[in-house]
Amino acid sequence: MVKNLPVVPTAKAGSLVETPTGITWRIQHPEILENCNMCLDCTLFCPDGAIVQQAGELVLSLRLCKGCGICANECKENAIQMIPEYSGVKGVFR
Amino acid sequence: MALSIADLPKEELFGQGHAGCGGCGAAVAGRQAMKALGSRTIITIPASCMATMGGSNLKTTWQIPFYHTLFEIAPAVSSGIRAALDAQGIEDVNVVSWAGDAGTADIGFQALTGAAERNEHMMHVCYDNEMYMNTGGQTGSQTPKFAITSNMANGKKVKKKNMLAIMEAHEIDYVASASIAYPLDLIAKFKKAAKKPGFSYMHILAPCHRGWQIPAEKTIELARLAVESGLFELYEVDEGKRTRTVEPTFIPVDNYLLPQGRFKDLTQEDIQDIQAGVNRHYGRGE
Ligand SMILES: Cc1ncc(C[n+]2csc(CCOP(=O)(O)OP(=O)(O)O)c2C)c(N)n1
Ligand code: SF4
Repeated sequence: MVKNLPVVPTAKAGSLVETPTGITWRIQHPEILENCNMCLDCTLFCPDGAIVQQAGELVLSLRLCKGCGICANECKENAIQMIPEYSGVKGVFR
Repeated sequence: MALSIADLPKEELFGQGHAGCGGCGAAVAGRQAMKALGSRTIITIPASCMATMGGSNLKTTWQIPFYHTLFEIAPAVSSGIRAALDAQGIEDVNVVSWAGDAGTADIGFQALTGAAERNEHMMHVCYDNEMYMNTGGQTGSQTPKFAITSNMANGKKVKKKNMLAIMEAHEIDYVASASIAYPLDLIAKFKKAAKKPGFSYMHILAPCHRGWQIPAEKTIELARLAVESGLFELYEVDEGKRTRTVEPTFIPVDNYLLPQGRFKDLTQEDIQDIQAGVNRHYGRGE
C-alpha cells in the first residue's frame, strides 16, 4: 500500500506564488533577446523561479521577478538585457 | 551519465514567490537542490534566512512539507521524522535538515554531530553565506578571516573552521561541497546523497550580496570565483573515497576578494596570507 506523506495543518503548499514577495521592489526587469540559444542556464541561476522552461520555450514571469539581474549577468550569449522599470518624465510602473 | 538541464524536472518545489531578497544565493541553492530531491522530501529548517524565506504558516513557497524548527535542533527533528516514517513503513522519502552556517557549524552543531554519529538515514545541508544574515550579518565560525561584518568592523581575526573536514571525521556515508555556480555538479551530488542508507552532509557556498557587499547580480559570479581561486574546493568523499569534482584554474585570490565590500580594508599582506592559505589547504585530506 502506498502511503501518503503526513498532512500537518498549515499554509497551503506553494501559496506564496499567488501573492509573490518583492514585485514592488523591482527597479529593472529582464528581457530575453533573440540570440538566446536555449542553454537554460538562467533557469537554474534565477533565485525566484521567474524564468522557467515550458514546452521547449523560456517563459519569464514578471510577477515573480525581483529584478536582481543575475540572469543577465550570467547569460553567456548576452541574450538577456535589464530594462529600467521607470521611464518617461513621470515614470511608468508596469 | 551526464545530467542536462533540459532533462531536469520542471516542477518548482521551492522558490516561486519566496520572501527573501532579490538575488539571494540561498534561494538559488534551494531551487537547485529541489530539482534533485523531488517531491517526496520532508525538510526541516532552523531559524535563518532560508526559514524566513519559506513563508509562515499562512503562506509558503514550499510545495513539500517544510518544518521550521528551533535553532539548535533541525537534524534532531529530522532524525525523529525518519523514525516516524520507518514506524509507518514509508520508505521512499528523502529526509533533509537544511541550515545556514550558524545553524550548522555553531548554534546547531550539537544536534548535527549527534545525528551524524548515529548515522541517521538523512541528509544535512549547510548553505554557507559565511555570516548570520537573518539577524543582520554577524560573524560566526564560517566567516572567513579578515571579513568585515556588522559586529566586527575591523574584520575577523581568526580563520574559518573547516566544517567539511569535521563532518568527514564522523565517517558518514557521504560528504560533499557544492557551489550554486556549478548547478549540475550540485544536483549530481544531491542525487548521490539521497541514495545513501545513512547520513550525508552537503556544504554549499551560497553568497549573500547584502552581507558580502556586492551587487545582487554578482551573486553567482562570486560563487564561481571562490571555486576558481581555489578558496572553495569542490569535492566529495563517497564512503571514504575522496574525489575532486571541478578542477579550478587557480586565479589569484584578489580577483575574488577585492570586488567584495566586506574585504575593502585588506592590505597586501592580508591578501598574501589568504593566498598562502589556499596553497596550504587546497586538497587537504587527499
Ligand atoms: C537559540 C537562538 N539563538 C538566536 C536566535 C536568533 N537568530 C535567528 S536567525 C540567526 C542567524 C542565522 O544565521 P545562519 O544560520 O548563518 O543563517 P543565515 O540567516 O545567515 O542564512 C540568529 C542568531 C534564535 N532564533 N534562536
Ligand atoms: S540577507 Fe542574504 S541570505 Fe538573507 S535573504 Fe537576503 S540575500 Fe538571502
